Amino acid sequence: MTDHLLAASGLSAGYKNIEILHGLDLTVPPGKITVIVGANACGKSTFLRTISRLIAPTAGQVLLDGKSIHRMPSRDLARTLGLLPQSPIAPEGITVADLVSRGRHPHQSLFSRWTRQDDEAVDSALSATKTSDLAERPVDELSGGQRQRVWIAMALAQQTDILLLDEPTTFLDINHQIEVLDLLIDLNHTRGTTVVMVLHDLNLAARYADHLVALASGHVHISGTPEAVLTEETVRQVFGLESRVITDPISGRPIMLPIGRHRIANPQQQEKRA
Amino acid sequence: MQSAAIDVVITNRRGRARRYAVVLAVLLALVAAIFAVTLSIGKTITPPAEVLRVLLGEAVPGADFSVGQLRLPRAVLSVLAGLCFGLGGVAFQVMLRNPLASPDIIGITSGAGAAAVFAIVVLSMSGPMVSVFAIVAGLGVAMLVYGLSFHNGVAGTRLILVGIGVSAMLQSVIAYILQSAPAWSLQEAMRWLTGSVNGAQLDQALPLLLALLVFGGLLVSRSRDLDALRLGDDMAAALGTRVAQTRMLVIIAAVGLIASATAATGPIAFVAFLSGPIAGRIVKNDGSLLIPSALTGAVLVLAADYIGQHLLPGRYPVGVVTGALGAPYLIYLIIRVNRIGGTL
Repeated sequence: MTDHLLAASGLSAGYKNIEILHGLDLTVPPGKITVIVGANACGKSTFLRTISRLIAPTAGQVLLDGKSIHRMPSRDLARTLGLLPQSPIAPEGITVADLVSRGRHPHQSLFSRWTRQDDEAVDSALSATKTSDLAERPVDELSGGQRQRVWIAMALAQQTDILLLDEPTTFLDINHQIEVLDLLIDLNHTRGTTVVMVLHDLNLAARYADHLVALASGHVHISGTPEAVLTEETVRQVFGLESRVITDPISGRPIMLPIGRHRIANPQQQEKRA
Repeated sequence: MQSAAIDVVITNRRGRARRYAVVLAVLLALVAAIFAVTLSIGKTITPPAEVLRVLLGEAVPGADFSVGQLRLPRAVLSVLAGLCFGLGGVAFQVMLRNPLASPDIIGITSGAGAAAVFAIVVLSMSGPMVSVFAIVAGLGVAMLVYGLSFHNGVAGTRLILVGIGVSAMLQSVIAYILQSAPAWSLQEAMRWLTGSVNGAQLDQALPLLLALLVFGGLLVSRSRDLDALRLGDDMAAALGTRVAQTRMLVIIAAVGLIASATAATGPIAFVAFLSGPIAGRIVKNDGSLLIPSALTGAVLVLAADYIGQHLLPGRYPVGVVTGALGAPYLIYLIIRVNRIGGTL
């Protein structure tokens, strides 16, 4: 069970002269699944890149247990905070077992030898992601869904209490999306890993999040339980879209149905849009 | 069940370590073998026993000069230059995840070469000062190419294109200086155009050895971080690698190696470019490419020089032979990268 506390306070960051985050405050609830949603260019990815130290903030700070992560030794940080970026690169021909073992990097140094503990971490990462059978296969030959599971296995081998993921379901078909998200819930339940991820799909976000955060123009617009966050009002304000939010009969979580200009069977909804 | 899976993990890891050790041993043996051949078989054949006696400093009539004065400096310089080129080349290729990002393609070798020619011809410098001059110029070119291609982070392709342009410019600087030096012999000119170990002296080896120890040591101490960079800059950072710091150290060390070697032998064509990909084919993902690539560089220079001296009709400087090997590979690589977007 993790008790590490990750928080952003007054966080501003961006690229070159463009500031994207403007004084953002957010506390990640430990041991929970936090999902970040928002319109394109609202700063979702920038936020994730800043709290994982890929970008330095221009103001404010990212705190891990009250200490600024930009002042922590990078290997120490990498043993607590893991990140699966959007497009990691698998070296040509690398096998699954080899790639997953690269996750042990922050636990080793130039002269330290590979230990039984390292082997066990790799093994348990493989079995948690159900990729043990793929261990000797080259990563290039895997399907998109298998490959994503292998990358998650690598992040698991890193054995961090907090795991950040930048759109882990992009490019996956729907059954692999569900498979990856279910896997993350498993990890959260069995290992108590704190998960923070950016998702594009609002309905999947509401289904899988314990804590849902909607960003708009570099601020936290609203955060809380999916029921509190995914409302018709939020969708209107954050995405500029009319919608209906009903209860998903499968998960009991809110589900959003967009109202566009066409394909509307119920005239009442048509009026609402006008 | 648990134990069966972990056995796969352990076997897999041990297999990688074993294959890596075999590759290193074979490459080392290859370097030693070609080195030995270079010492003993030239225009005349010197028996190994006599070669050994010369190496031990005994006066051996007949072999003294050909082995001690001609072949030994040549072989030693070939090995050292090969190691430097191989190591410096692969460091750039791995760091930028592109085999075309080798220092001899992106202008660093030509920068060091132009500086060395300028220092020797115009400033009449000699010895270690030429190396220092070449290293400074190499770093300058590296910074220039890096700066010109910087735009929201450095994209590999832009850096390579800028580098090719800068390289062409510096080549013409070399050609210009050589043209305007009337007393320049063709032999010497060839050294600065394609690289050569003709007229090698043992005292040239010392600065090169020093560069290899300092800069090579620095690179090898960073080999794990370089390995992490192969997974992408973001992933490397997530694994606790200081990306910007690693990149800077790698650039300095690799430029130091390339420039020192260039100051000694001239820009031996394509060795920096070829060593990494060849080593990559052999090593696959079994371990760091640094040392295998260095050894491959040594094999290439030793073998190419031997071929140029003894196996071709006429005598050619080593760079002509490596150039003939490298050019087709460059074409192949461009076609392949175009087709599948391949990496090292």
